[in-house]
Amino acid sequence: MDFRRQRLLARLALCAFAAVCAVWLWRLDHRERISTNILDLIPSGERAPEVGLVRGFASNVQSRVMLFALLDPARPAAAPHAAARAFVDELRKAPEFAEVQRPADPAAQDALGREVFAHRLTWLLPTWLAARERAFAATGRPGEQFSAWLAEGAAADLEAFLARPEATAMQDLLPQDPLLLVPSLADRARLLAPGGAGAAGRALVWARLEVSPFAEAGQGPVFAAVERALAAARAVQPGVDLRWSGINRFAAASRARIEAELKGLNLVSIAGVLAVSCLFVRRISRLLHLLPVIALSIVGAWTLSTLVFDRLHVLVFVIGSLLSGVAVDYGFYIYMQPPLYPDETYGQKLRRLLRPLLASCLTTVAGFSLLLFSELPLIRQIGFFVSAGLLCALGAAMLYFAQLDRPQLEGREWGGLGGAGAAPGWRRLVRVGLVAAVLAALLGPWRLQWRDDVRELDLPAPELHANERELRAWFGETDSRSLFLTHGPTLAAARARLDAFLAWHAAARPGVAAASVGLLLPTEDDWRALPQRLARLKGFAADFRAALARHGFTPESFEPFFAAWEAQAARAPAEDFAALAAGLDRALTGPLALLSQRGAAPYWFLSVVDAPDVTAPEGLHTLGLQQLQSLNDLFTRYRWSALRLSLIGLGLVIASVFAIYPAARALRIALIPAGSCFFVFGVLGLAGFTLNLFHLLGAFLGVCLSHNYAIFSADNAERGTAPPAPIRLSALSTVASFGALAFSRIPVIHALGATVALIVLTALAIVELEPLARRPRA
Amino acid sequence: MKNRICHAGAASRRPSPCHGRGGRLAAIFALGWFVLVAGQPVRAQPAADSPVGWVSEANRLPDPARDPAWRELVDRLAPNKTRQSAFEERRYFPFRKAPVVLTGEIRIVPEVGMSLRYLTPEERVMIVDEQGLLFRDRAGREQPAPEDSRAQAATAALVNVLRFDLAKLQREFVIHGRRDGAAWTLAFVPREPAFAQLLGVLTVAGEDHRLRRIEMVKSPSQRIEIDIRDTREDVLFTGDTYRRFFR
Repeated sequence: MDFRRQRLLARLALCAFAAVCAVWLWRLDHRERISTNILDLIPSGERAPEVGLVRGFASNVQSRVMLFALLDPARPAAAPHAAARAFVDELRKAPEFAEVQRPADPAAQDALGREVFAHRLTWLLPTWLAARERAFAATGRPGEQFSAWLAEGAAADLEAFLARPEATAMQDLLPQDPLLLVPSLADRARLLAPGGAGAAGRALVWARLEVSPFAEAGQGPVFAAVERALAAARAVQPGVDLRWSGINRFAAASRARIEAELKGLNLVSIAGVLAVSCLFVRRISRLLHLLPVIALSIVGAWTLSTLVFDRLHVLVFVIGSLLSGVAVDYGFYIYMQPPLYPDETYGQKLRRLLRPLLASCLTTVAGFSLLLFSELPLIRQIGFFVSAGLLCALGAAMLYFAQLDRPQLEGREWGGLGGAGAAPGWRRLVRVGLVAAVLAALLGPWRLQWRDDVRELDLPAPELHANERELRAWFGETDSRSLFLTHGPTLAAARARLDAFLAWHAAARPGVAAASVGLLLPTEDDWRALPQRLARLKGFAADFRAALARHGFTPESFEPFFAAWEAQAARAPAEDFAALAAGLDRALTGPLALLSQRGAAPYWFLSVVDAPDVTAPEGLHTLGLQQLQSLNDLFTRYRWSALRLSLIGLGLVIASVFAIYPAARALRIALIPAGSCFFVFGVLGLAGFTLNLFHLLGAFLGVCLSHNYAIFSADNAERGTAPPAPIRLSALSTVASFGALAFSRIPVIHALGATVALIVLTALAIVELEPLARRPRA
Repeated sequence: MKNRICHAGAASRRPSPCHGRGGRLAAIFALGWFVLVAGQPVRAQPAADSPVGWVSEANRLPDPARDPAWRELVDRLAPNKTRQSAFEERRYFPFRKAPVVLTGEIRIVPEVGMSLRYLTPEERVMIVDEQGLLFRDRAGREQPAPEDSRAQAATAALVNVLRFDLAKLQREFVIHGRRDGAAWTLAFVPREPAFAQLLGVLTVAGEDHRLRRIEMVKSPSQRIEIDIRDTREDVLFTGDTYRRFFR
C-alpha cells in the first residue's frame, strides 16, 4: 500500500471514529446518564442487605424531603403562620411536590388519631392481649384465672392513668377505650411526634418531592417553585424570610462546584503543561498536534463508557479527565522520536516504536482492566474508562501522526546527571539517598493509616450542611436519639423482627423510650391468634365491670367499650395481613409515611430510641442509621478489594514485562514504578498521613504512568545516557497537571492528584538519578 | 415574651395569683396536646352555656383594667419576685365516683418562667417558659410540646392569664367577676367555641390579694379544682433547683 493510500485510510478511520463519537455524545441524555448522587457509587445489588437497605432508604425516602422555615426578623417571637399557609398553598400548586405539610397544622394528626381510634381493636388489641397473656403465663397461675387477672390489671392501670397530665385530654375517649390502647400508643409514639418545639418564632413547612432531587427536574423547577411560594408568603407578610434545605440544593451545589473546579484546575494544568513544554520543545505551536490525540482519547473513552454503562457517576469523568496525562505520553513518544536514519518513513518509525508502545499501552490496559472485577461500580467504570481511553489514545496517535508530512517535533536535550564525569561525592550522595528511599519504601507502608469515609466522596459544602443541621434541629431532630431500620423479606417478618428488636431494647435499656410506627400493627401471629384469645375471654366483660367498680369507676359509663368488645369478639377473622397493613396508608401521611415501607420489599420499619449511640446486636435484622459507619465499612471493604486487584494487576504488568524484555531490563522496568509507589506510600506513612481508597486508585494510575517512563527510557538507561526529552516532557507535564489537581477542594480529586504527581515525580527522579548511581563504566 | 411570664408592673410585695395557676395549666396544656394525638373532633360549644353557674351577663366585666372595683386587684395579680407554693389538684371525671387528687409545688422565677412539680401520685415536672412547654419525668427525660396551632393558641392564651395581660385576655376571653366581702372570683370564658370546648371556663378565686383556688370547668362532672396554700415569696432557689425545675 503506498503512502498516500495509507494516509487516506488513516484519515478516514479517524474522521469516522470522531463522527460516530460526536453523534453519540450529542444525542446522549446527559442528565439521565450521568449521576451526581453519592449513593449511586454503591452498587444497587450490594451483597450486604443492610447496605442496600440504607441505600434505598436514603435515595428513595430521605433524599426527597425538603424542610422550610419561615421567620420574620422584625417579629422574632411570632411565627408567621399566615405567611406559611400562603407558602404551602403556593407550593402545593407545583407538580414537583408530592406532599406539603405544616407541622403546626393539626389536620394530619387529627386524621391519624381518628384512624387509630377507629381501628384500635384490630390494630392495637392483638398486641395488648398477647403481652398480657405472656405476663399472666409468667405468674404461673391457672388459666381460668386469666380473665379476672386481666380485668383487675386493666382497671388498676386506668386508675393510675387518671393522674397523668394527658388524662384530662383523653377523658372523652376513656369510656370507649378503658384498656388505654390509644393513650399507650400515644405515649410510646411521642418520639415520632412532629418536631418544632425548638423552632420558636419560625413557621415550619415539610415537603416531599415527586421528582428525584438529583435530576434537573428536581432542581431548577423546584427552586423556581420555592421562589414563587416565598413571593406568595411575602404578599401576606412582607418581612418574612425563608430558610430551607434539601438534597437538591446539595446536588446543584455539587454540580456547580465540580464544573468550577474542572474549569479552574484545567486552566492551571494547561498553564503548567505549557510552561514545561517551553523547557523541552523548540516550537510550542507544534504541540497543538497533540490536542487531537488527547481529544480523541477522551471522547472515545466517554463514548465507549456510555455505551457499556447505563449510568455513570460524574466522578468517572472528573477522574477520567486525568486520562489526558497518560494519553499524551504516546503522542510525545511517537512525535518526538527522531528518525533513526534520514529517509526513515513514518511506517518504518512506527514499526520500530511499536514494541515499547504496545508493551506500555497493553500492560497498562491489562492492569486497569482488572478493575472491571471490582465490586464498586465507580472503580469498574474508572477501569473501563481509562482502558478504553488508552487504547483510543494509542490508536489516535498512530493514525494522526500519519497525516503529517514530517511527524517530528524537535526537543531540547538538557543532558543527564550520570556519566563518567560525575563527581564521586554526588554519586555517593545519590546512592545514600537511594538506600534511604529503599528503606522508606520497605518500612513506611507498614505505618500507613487507612480510613475510608463515604463523606469524602461528596463535595464539602459547610454552609449548606450547617443550614441543614439547624433546620433539622428546628424540626425536632436531635443527636441524643438513635435511629434504626428493622427489615424483613415480608411485611410480617419485618414486623416480627421489630418486636424482637423492641424486646431486646426494653431488656437492654429499661426505661429508655423507643417508638416505631410499626407499633400500629400487630405481629401476624398475634393478629391471627386474636379470635381464639377473645373466645377464651367470654367472662371478661363481667370481670372488668366488677374490677372497675372496685377501683372507684362507674361501670355503666364504659358501655361503649363493652359493645365494641362484644362486636370484635363476634367478628370473623380477616384473611389477609397485608390488607390489614394497607389500612395504615390512610392514617400515615407526611413525615410519618416515611417511617416504614409496607407496600413492597424490602419491608422495613424505622424505630427511634431516646438515647444516643445505641447499637443493635447482630441477628436482630436491625440496622443503626445514626452514623455512616455501615457505608464507611463498605468502602473499607471496597478498598481491600481494589488493593487485591491492584496488586494482581501490578503482578500481571510485571509478568508481561518479563515476558517481553530480557530479565535485567525487565527487572529495571518493574522496579521503577513499583519502587516509586512504595516510596511515596512509605513517606506518607512515616509522615503520618491517612489514606483512603482514592489514594490507592491514584497509586495505580501513577504506577502505570511510571511504567511507561521506565519502558521508554530503557534504551538510554542501558547506554548510561540521560532519559529522552519525551520522557522528561511527559513526566513533568503529568506532575504539573496532577499537581494542580492536588489543590482541589474535592477530597477525591485531591487524593488522586497528589498521589499520581508524587509517584510520577519519584519515578522521574529515579530515571534521572539512575545513571549517576550506577558504577561508571570503564 | 422573654422573662415576662407572671411579671407584674407593680412592685408589690403581696402574694399574687400566679401561685398555683400552673397546676391548672398542666392539665390545660396537656389537653391541647393530647387531643391532637387522639384526633378527637372538637365539638363547638356556645360560650353562653357556661358550666359555671354564677357566670352571667350581669357580672360580665367589659374592661376590668379600668373598672375601679377591680383595677387594684388586677394590678396586683402578677408577681415580680420568686415564689413557691404548695397545691392540691382534684380532677373530676364523669366515669369516676371520686376525684383524683394530685399534690405538688409551684415555683415562679419571673425572669425565667414557671415550674410545677407534681409530687403525688407520680413525680413529674412541668415547665412553662419562653421556649414553651416542657414535661420532665422523674428520670429526667424531657418531652417538649409539639408545634401545633391549637397547642400554641392554648399556650399563648394561658400565658396571658398567667401574666394577667388584660388587653390580650379580653381579645381571647369574656371576663366575669364577683365579689363577696374580701373574697373575689374572676371567670374567663373563651370567646372561640372550639377553644371553649378545649379549655372550658377558667376561674381564679381568692381573698384580698391572695389567690386561693383555680378551677377549670367543662361540665359539673368534668372539672379540675386547684387549691393553693403555703405561699412563700422572695425564695432563693439554688443552682440545683434551677437545674431540676427549670431549663
